[in-house]
Amino acid sequence: MPLLSLIIFLPLAGALIILMMDKEKTKAIQKVGLIFSGLALLASLVLLIDFDPSNSAMQFVEEFSWIPALNVKYLLGADGLSMPLMILTTLLSFISLIASLGIDKRVKEYWFWFLILEVGMLGVFVALDFFLFYVFWEITLVPMYFLIGIWGGPQKEYAATKFFLYTLFGSVFMLLSIIALYFASEPHTLNMLELMAQRDAFFAKGMTFQMLVFLGFYVAFAIKIPMFPFHTWLPLAHVEAPTAVSVILAGVLLKMGGYGILRVNLPMFPQATEAFLPFLIVLAFINIFYGSLCAMAQKDMKRMVAYSSINHMGYAMLGIASMNAIGFNGAVFQMINHGIITGSLFLLVGVIYDRTHTRDIDAFGGLGAKVPLYAGVMTLACMASLGLPGLAGFVSEFLCFLGAFGPWKLWTMLSVSGILITAAFFLRMIQKVFLGPLNEKWSGLTDMNARELVTTIPLAALTVALGVYPKWGLDLMNQTMTSLAQLVTKQ
Amino acid sequence: MLEYSPLLFLLPLLAFPAILFGWRWLPSKGASLGIAVMGACLLWSAAALTSAIFADLILPYDWTVSWFQFGIYDVALGVHLDGMTLCMLFVVTLVSFLVQLYSLSYMHGDPRFHRYYAFISLFTASMIGLVMAENLLLLFMCWEIMGLCSYFLIGFWFEKPEAAQAGRKAFITTKLGDLGLTAGLLLIFTTAGTFSLNSLQEMVKLGYFPAETAFWAALLLFCGAIGKSAQVPLFIWLPDAMEGPTPVSALIHAATMVAAGVFLVARTFFFFEVDPAALHIIAYFGAITAFLAALMGTVPEDIKRVLAFSTISQLGYMIAGLGVGGPQVGMFHLTTHAMFKALLFLGAGSVIHAVHTNDIWKMGALSVKMPVTFITFSIGVLALCGIFPLSGFYSKDEILHAAAASGQWPVAALLFITAGLTAYYMTRVLVLVFLGDARDRERYGHAHESPGVMTAPLVILAVFSVFLGFLLHGKTWGGLVPVKLEGHHHEISVLIVALASSAIAFTGIFVAWAVYRKRVVDYEELRLKFSPVWSFLYQRMGFEHFWLFWAAASYRFSAFLAWVDYHILDQGLVDGWAVVTNLLSRAGGWFDRVVVDNLVDFWGWLTARSGQLVRGTVSGFVQSYLLYLILGVGLILALRLYF
Repeated sequence: MPLLSLIIFLPLAGALIILMMDKEKTKAIQKVGLIFSGLALLASLVLLIDFDPSNSAMQFVEEFSWIPALNVKYLLGADGLSMPLMILTTLLSFISLIASLGIDKRVKEYWFWFLILEVGMLGVFVALDFFLFYVFWEITLVPMYFLIGIWGGPQKEYAATKFFLYTLFGSVFMLLSIIALYFASEPHTLNMLELMAQRDAFFAKGMTFQMLVFLGFYVAFAIKIPMFPFHTWLPLAHVEAPTAVSVILAGVLLKMGGYGILRVNLPMFPQATEAFLPFLIVLAFINIFYGSLCAMAQKDMKRMVAYSSINHMGYAMLGIASMNAIGFNGAVFQMINHGIITGSLFLLVGVIYDRTHTRDIDAFGGLGAKVPLYAGVMTLACMASLGLPGLAGFVSEFLCFLGAFGPWKLWTMLSVSGILITAAFFLRMIQKVFLGPLNEKWSGLTDMNARELVTTIPLAALTVALGVYPKWGLDLMNQTMTSLAQLVTKQ
Repeated sequence: MLEYSPLLFLLPLLAFPAILFGWRWLPSKGASLGIAVMGACLLWSAAALTSAIFADLILPYDWTVSWFQFGIYDVALGVHLDGMTLCMLFVVTLVSFLVQLYSLSYMHGDPRFHRYYAFISLFTASMIGLVMAENLLLLFMCWEIMGLCSYFLIGFWFEKPEAAQAGRKAFITTKLGDLGLTAGLLLIFTTAGTFSLNSLQEMVKLGYFPAETAFWAALLLFCGAIGKSAQVPLFIWLPDAMEGPTPVSALIHAATMVAAGVFLVARTFFFFEVDPAALHIIAYFGAITAFLAALMGTVPEDIKRVLAFSTISQLGYMIAGLGVGGPQVGMFHLTTHAMFKALLFLGAGSVIHAVHTNDIWKMGALSVKMPVTFITFSIGVLALCGIFPLSGFYSKDEILHAAAASGQWPVAALLFITAGLTAYYMTRVLVLVFLGDARDRERYGHAHESPGVMTAPLVILAVFSVFLGFLLHGKTWGGLVPVKLEGHHHEISVLIVALASSAIAFTGIFVAWAVYRKRVVDYEELRLKFSPVWSFLYQRMGFEHFWLFWAAASYRFSAFLAWVDYHILDQGLVDGWAVVTNLLSRAGGWFDRVVVDNLVDFWGWLTARSGQLVRGTVSGFVQSYLLYLILGVGLILALRLYF
């Protein structure tokens, strides 16, 4: 049974059904969306049972000829890198859809675009043919554009346009690189696995060729991650996007960049990677240090969390720049954990924004006694995000540091300071919002409702589970990361 | 019985969620569960320690189970028990048990009563985990979770802005030290490829671990201890931590958590041993901390602040003890100190409970009203001052003796002076709180002895404070702790040190007695006369300002970066591009409209004009065409003729 295709196209089927439904029947539309997204989640969990983590090769491979003239194939497969990201995607999509039950504006279109978005994201993580990969990559753009542009905040059009243009800018370079690879391969192919096997041929073409192609991909991926200085679309898009879309944006879309670097840049162009490594490590440090300092200065909670994403993806990049199995494990695990933790942070910021219509950190005070449940869940998420041991973020951050420390002592030592700054701004937020005397303005505030608990508690439980027993996450990726590390160091 | 040791960690750990979420269904809002669990742990530790001392236990005991893998590495969850850890476990479980018992009355009626017990349980679990951990990563995790509990419990009454602020300060300040500790872990793992303490010790012993790396690893680990054990210059959080409930101060900020830094150094002593320079450094850090904190302890009017400075000072003693005498000496003082400092804090809590103030100037003459508290508190004071034969005498003397014998005279001198200062400020507190006149008649009138559930822990701790030193002295805990630093440079008689330290302690007591009890000088006048010194000490010798300055500076820097990020990078460069693109596209549009389009139109116009011009010739008249024909033929002929 082609499980991968099934997972990808279940949301598409849902989207098509929704397209044919009466737009007044919002309840039914929501039901259909939840069912199909839920089925995708279930299917991905079934896949997880069949998945063999001790095998680093591609599994569940599906291959059909698509455009024979160009040797384009419909080629899917999953390994220890795609698998966790795929489950993260189905999980966060399902949770975001539950969180979207409160959306009452143009429901049909919203749910349609959301499911299409899920298709695109899932496709990116399992497509093994560059043509298909590029198609899925671009598919994610359009729904995101509408989701921010229609259901967003006051500056939604500006944010949506900026996001779209920024990403498209990167995609153009990626397309160029893909075409270059196509013509450099013999026979011409877009099959990623074959291209990887032919990487020595690229090296024979000279360093300049490798470096240019590397850069083309890197720009596209760096914008998505986002790496300094391509990060400025992110705070705006996160702030303007509706809660559920921010969750997907931070939780999944950013990971497409990290995934791309691990899937394409490193294994295909090891020599170019080697040459660019000093830049990668410095950029990772800048992301960590600069991102966290920028977060510290924010007054808007959502903006703060958005900047903290820059910081956290910096840890992942630090792990990637380590070029060893420890760092790669850390990087992928960090991406998963960041998805879970930042996803719940955005959901939680949404909870308070729905009630008070403000996200200004200074506007609150003393809410801890008023809404203890909310304060508890929020504190847990903040602690996880600042890397408290026992919660998921710690292990992955630590592994990123551990991997990078061997080759990059100075930059890793400097990056460790990110922990302190992150702690400083999260604790400042907790203090200003939850501690101190109660701001009487919010004396009528109500605690979290059932829907909000359903979306946040599973993520909180996962945060604790992966923090206490990281084996559940690490075992999925360890084998693949180990062989990737061998692949990138063996020239 | 040692195979049950993981339960010691797991039971309080599970009690945390059980109390936090299930308190409604538990007797006395969950406190019963916390106390019962801790009672069981205490019984186990007491039994284990006793059988260890009477040597029918095979130590060290190790037990590991695989935890998680990355790359080729395997991290194991492990328990390591030896004499030092068993002793530490006994201290932790005993104090935690007594504090929980005591809190039944002290925290009675608090709206967040169950949360208090939940976090005490989590704290104790992580402290036990830290003590038993065979693995640096697990130790570090427990270390940080303790920090989290400390944060929550300092800010337990978070409606008070000072409490909220103090919690954050503690977290951030200790985190600053933990940066060094983290770097140390990274360095150690990168060098050795393992976090297992047993393996590391083996590697260092056999010389597989480069000596220079070991030195740096030791210093980086010590950074963590500087933060957690409140050494100079990071001690500023501990006095503020007194905003938490007093039993918490007794457990976390006096007896156990703050001692974790000392324990860490003792546990990883094999790194410190490699290079004597590392030991000298920590000895100086400890001695300077002990001295400065003792100076600062002479001025506060808040009873808990005095005890906090005293804790810092005594932690400095322990660190110095590690530096000059090795783990046995440092840990001995840690053990005795845990007893009498917990006693002093709980005694102070009993007083605060009675008079509802922390200000020692509003107390006085309470010995009449609170005899049990007075007697036990006095025992604590005498033990802390190091008066023979109380426990503090033995442990302090071992440190002083080691310091004197090590030949590091500045360290020894500072520690001796500190002993005098300690006696001075503790006597000051004792006199002002319990003796003399009642300065606040109204508070005095309402004061009463605390209930049995509060005084019983005081009595138990007092008993330990009296006898523990005598019991453990010279026994090296049944020969369980092997490391005692060799190579003493100077033979110094134990008796001389004992006499000297006692003389200094009595001097301190005598001076304080003269000033505050006998009033030979007017202390108000004295304070005014030395007011610059007094306020310098009161403001914590500028350390506070130093760190606040850096905090403010980094905040300003972050605001500047955020400004750059928005205005320069985003609005300037990125949107600048958009503006440039926009302008270019307008220019292109203009060019297209004006130049290209007109050029196109010009072609049209040209064609039309030329068409018009030529059209005239195509008139349709045959005569004209004949005329053109003749003209043409004529032209051709003419050309032929001439060329």
